[in-house]
Amino acid sequence: MLPAAREPAAGDSWGIIACLCTVLWHLPAVPALNRTGDPGPGPSIQKTYDLTRYLEHQLRTLAGTYLNYLGPPFNEPDFNPPRLGAETLPRATVNLEVWRSLNDKLRLTQNYEAYSHLLCHLRGLNRQAAAAELRRSLAHFCTSLQGLLGSIAGVMAALGYPLPQPLPGAEPAWAPGPAHSDFLQKMDDFWLLKELQTWLWRSAKDFNRLKKKMQPPAAAVTLHLEAHGF
Amino acid sequence: MAPLAALQATFLSALLFLGTDCGKALSEPSQLAPESLKVSINTSQQSLHVQWTVHGLAYDEELNMVFQIQISRMTTFNVIWVENYSTTVAWKQVLHWRWDSELPLECTTHFVRLRGMVVEEAGTPGPRPWSNWTSWEEVDAQKSLGPDWLFVFPEEKLVEEGSNVTICYVSRSHENNVSCSLESAPILGEQLSPNVSVITLNNVSFIRKTGTNFFCQMEQTHTVKGSVLFVSKVLEEPKGLSCETRDFKTLTCTWDPGTDTDLPNYRSQHYMLFEAFSGENKSCEHKDSCVWQVAPGSQETYNFTLVAENFFRKRSVNIAFDLAHRVRPMDPFSMSLKSVSATGATVTWKVHPVRDHFTHLCQVELHGEGKVIQQHNVSVEKDGQRPFSELEPAMEYTARARCAAAEHFWKWSGWTGQDFRTLAAAPSEAPDVWRDVKSVLGSCNVTLFWKPLSKSHAHGEILFYNVAVESLHGPSGSKLFSIPAPAGGTEVALDGCSHRILVTANNSVGSSPAAMIVISGDPADKEAEEERVEPTEQGFSVSWKPPLEDVVGYVVDWCDRPEDAPCGLQWRRLGPNSTSAVIRSGAFRPGVRYHFRIYGISPQRRAFLLGKKTGYAQEEVPSDLPQVLVHNLTSHSFTLSWKDYATDSQPGFIRGYRVYLKSQAEQCQPEFQKTVLPDRSVGCQYEINDPEQKTLVMGDLQPESSYEFAVVPYTGAGEGALDAFTKVTMPDERSHVLIRIILPMVAGLVVIAILCYLKSRWMKEMCYPDIPDPYKSSVLSLLKPKEAAPLTIMSVNDCVPDALEVVKKPEGSKTPFPGARKAAPDTARIRPDYIYLLPTESSSGPCICFENLTYDQAAPNSGSCAHVLGPHEVPPSQLGLPTSAESLLKPLEQNYVNTPAEAPAGETTLNYVSQLASPVSGDKDLLPAKPPEPEPELCCEYRMQMALPLGLASPSLNESSNSSPTALLGQEYHG
Repeated sequence: MLPAAREPAAGDSWGIIACLCTVLWHLPAVPALNRTGDPGPGPSIQKTYDLTRYLEHQLRTLAGTYLNYLGPPFNEPDFNPPRLGAETLPRATVNLEVWRSLNDKLRLTQNYEAYSHLLCHLRGLNRQAAAAELRRSLAHFCTSLQGLLGSIAGVMAALGYPLPQPLPGAEPAWAPGPAHSDFLQKMDDFWLLKELQTWLWRSAKDFNRLKKKMQPPAAAVTLHLEAHGF
Repeated sequence: MAPLAALQATFLSALLFLGTDCGKALSEPSQLAPESLKVSINTSQQSLHVQWTVHGLAYDEELNMVFQIQISRMTTFNVIWVENYSTTVAWKQVLHWRWDSELPLECTTHFVRLRGMVVEEAGTPGPRPWSNWTSWEEVDAQKSLGPDWLFVFPEEKLVEEGSNVTICYVSRSHENNVSCSLESAPILGEQLSPNVSVITLNNVSFIRKTGTNFFCQMEQTHTVKGSVLFVSKVLEEPKGLSCETRDFKTLTCTWDPGTDTDLPNYRSQHYMLFEAFSGENKSCEHKDSCVWQVAPGSQETYNFTLVAENFFRKRSVNIAFDLAHRVRPMDPFSMSLKSVSATGATVTWKVHPVRDHFTHLCQVELHGEGKVIQQHNVSVEKDGQRPFSELEPAMEYTARARCAAAEHFWKWSGWTGQDFRTLAAAPSEAPDVWRDVKSVLGSCNVTLFWKPLSKSHAHGEILFYNVAVESLHGPSGSKLFSIPAPAGGTEVALDGCSHRILVTANNSVGSSPAAMIVISGDPADKEAEEERVEPTEQGFSVSWKPPLEDVVGYVVDWCDRPEDAPCGLQWRRLGPNSTSAVIRSGAFRPGVRYHFRIYGISPQRRAFLLGKKTGYAQEEVPSDLPQVLVHNLTSHSFTLSWKDYATDSQPGFIRGYRVYLKSQAEQCQPEFQKTVLPDRSVGCQYEINDPEQKTLVMGDLQPESSYEFAVVPYTGAGEGALDAFTKVTMPDERSHVLIRIILPMVAGLVVIAILCYLKSRWMKEMCYPDIPDPYKSSVLSLLKPKEAAPLTIMSVNDCVPDALEVVKKPEGSKTPFPGARKAAPDTARIRPDYIYLLPTESSSGPCICFENLTYDQAAPNSGSCAHVLGPHEVPPSQLGLPTSAESLLKPLEQNYVNTPAEAPAGETTLNYVSQLASPVSGDKDLLPAKPPEPEPELCCEYRMQMALPLGLASPSLNESSNSSPTALLGQEYHG
């Protein structure tokens, strides 16, 4: 029985303080808290989640600038054209039930593949942009997105999942595009940014879910004070 | 445009109709007719490409022919274009012709046909007829559009700003539910056919480099289709074309291209340089410059044409010049300084060779302290040099040079410069020295101040100052002090004030001339009166009268911070002809009093005071109010005084005082003026114009009235803050009479109080003697060791006066008393009185009463009676006697009581035994109803009066303590 659980008597506060000090002194020796080994995938998932949220924020500014660069109607908030000519972009939208049914490996694989493609398209966008300032912003974002891709790869490696192998001939590579009208090209740019936004939103949800799943249960952090003579 | 096109089409139709007939009429077997007509569409250029061949040409035959080409839209009858195309035709040659359509070709079907005619040549007989028309060739781009519901044409188009653009959309929906917008603005079209609408945009303007967006939306299918119009700005003519050479090897032409007309996807703006004499041309790499290689030694004159071109326009400008007149040499190089001394230096430089016998004109400048000091032009062929003189020692300079063609000046080259510093020299001027002298008992403490030499006078870094002090009257010889720079002064204690002081500034090369001042210690300095000086916008204008003696100049000195120590002494030297000076300083602050001293400098360099001035840069209102005292307060007047008020330490010259007086009557004295005070109340004001008048008698005041006053000084800036009034209540007229009465009364009372205090013991005895306290009796201490049982002290309240039986006795019976009374004085001084009530041996009753007669004198009814509870616990009884207190006391006074006056204190050894021991019986309430009767069983009666020694009485007390209760009462009478 803990001495602190004793009926406190008058003038016993010094005893309680002494007990608390003793408990704190022994805390490093409690096995449940003494986690000096491999931290597991938790920190890398957290970092990936944070980077996703940062990219979401960054893209908000970048998309605003780029859509203004394209001009109306692409920068109008209610502009929602059909997804024409953007079939090569990976779709982020998925049925909720389907999304729930995905396992961690599949989710991470889809994220990795999606950002691989999106990054490739984004670099093409950067090459097309005429404004120097816009090119700088796009290049910065591409670097960040490359970081996210590496971060996802790190999470997958920590969880023991293999990285998806690109199919032969399906290597994502940006090409100027054949006989694409300028209006359709602008539509593609619009959809690229929109898909990217949706993917980042979805990824934040994915990583948040994974983060919660990988967190150690609260019961594991129980102090087994009896073992130390308390 | 549209009516004109329709008229043209109608005219052409009629012409063609006639032509057709004529052609038929003139048809001959030898006619050369076009055939194999093919028409294709270039959608990117929105043009029709027509190609055909001519049948009937002989091998190696070449003919000049004219082909008439017709283009119809929608139907063959709707001819919209007729054009004659002349060309040379050879055997089996495929001919090409292009037609650009304003309307996108995808919008509708087009038809093309043509015919040919051999052009007449000189010497050939008669006109040749037209050939037959080819059949209509249909071009329908809509057939290859694909399965979409909506199309917009053209998909993109490059147009020039200000031009008109025609756009169409093709809808495959039966419902007309297509809405189109240009950027964000909805725009309506004109229906060309049931599913084709045409929109014409007039005078399009440039919006952005990524193009102007036109889009259409079909509501049913939510299909969005659009096109991007890339609007290019109008190409401008190049401005300011100029060509020059730096080395006779290349010519560089530059110009201002104006607005950039290029777009990210459409870059077409470029420039070409044509040279007319040589016939050569060059495509320029930049939009604003072009480099032309000069052929060595051949061409001297050039005639350039610069052509600017983009998709829409071509602009050109021309320039002709002689190459030798367009030489701008390269910048000079290898610039250096040599022979640098304290006052001179020589700059040298080199120039790049241009060609043989080419002379440069070089401009050389010398800069010092941010401005041009010297400027020279030098002709140079290869190496240039230029000496500079009259330079300042130890000064930073910059020499720079630029060159141009000497013969045909065109443009200067760029500057090439070099910094240098002249050598140091001894300071050229004596430092400006001034002093502050404080003479103490025949000796003088002199504080020397000097200003640092200007750069132009120091001629190098000043390292130290030498101060030499020589006595004017004492033995010859001088003391020398060396003060390291950058000190601005020093203190010198002089033994006697008559001294000459020499100060020199020294640098690494030498000493400056000495500055000399003579200290005379003339006491006349202190006698000058200080005058006020008013500030002006420029500063303090100080003037003085020239003295009778000769002067070599004047000095005005002052302190920048008069309140501080050191006060920041400043001085200004003035010439001997000056009689005034305007003193200005950035350190002058408002509200600070500055003192200026004006000195004349004698030829012997002795300074004598000419006058003192004082003033404020800006006066402020007084910051302190005087502490005003009220004197001589009478019922009708009082005097105000503020003699301690320091007028000199105020932030302005005190010009006077305003005395404000407030009273409830709001009536002002004759010399006062009524005024409205800051608190909006009405008061009286009296103005004192003399700042030294610091008292004021306030008269004609009402007795027993309250007045409030305030004294506020004022300066040139106004008066001080009027924030607090002092209240004065005027005394009553009769108050002095009252004082004459009250004072003696108070004095009398004090005397009485002192007397009372001195006679307090007597007063106490007389008025309120101490009440004896039985508990403090010393008897108790005597009884304690012997009494086992707790002592019980009788309460006085519980007792009734002893009943005294008055027995009539013969006269002789009184004799023992005098004897007894006489014996008493021996012991009275030793012990206090004790009155013992002793039980008789025969008495068995519990109640024995006694009476302290002395006590009863003061309270006759409160007789003391001790009743002691015995073992039987019989309640004490009281016997009340219907006799008055007086009747009871009288005999006691006479017979049994020893008062202090009558009996000596020694009689305390005597015991008094009550003669009556009342039986205790019955209730107290019953006493009046039932007269007491002696009960022998309970009360003893003892009537013998005897005096017992204390030693004898005690044993009997002890013995009886168990058998009968005994009440003891001891009273230290005199405590």
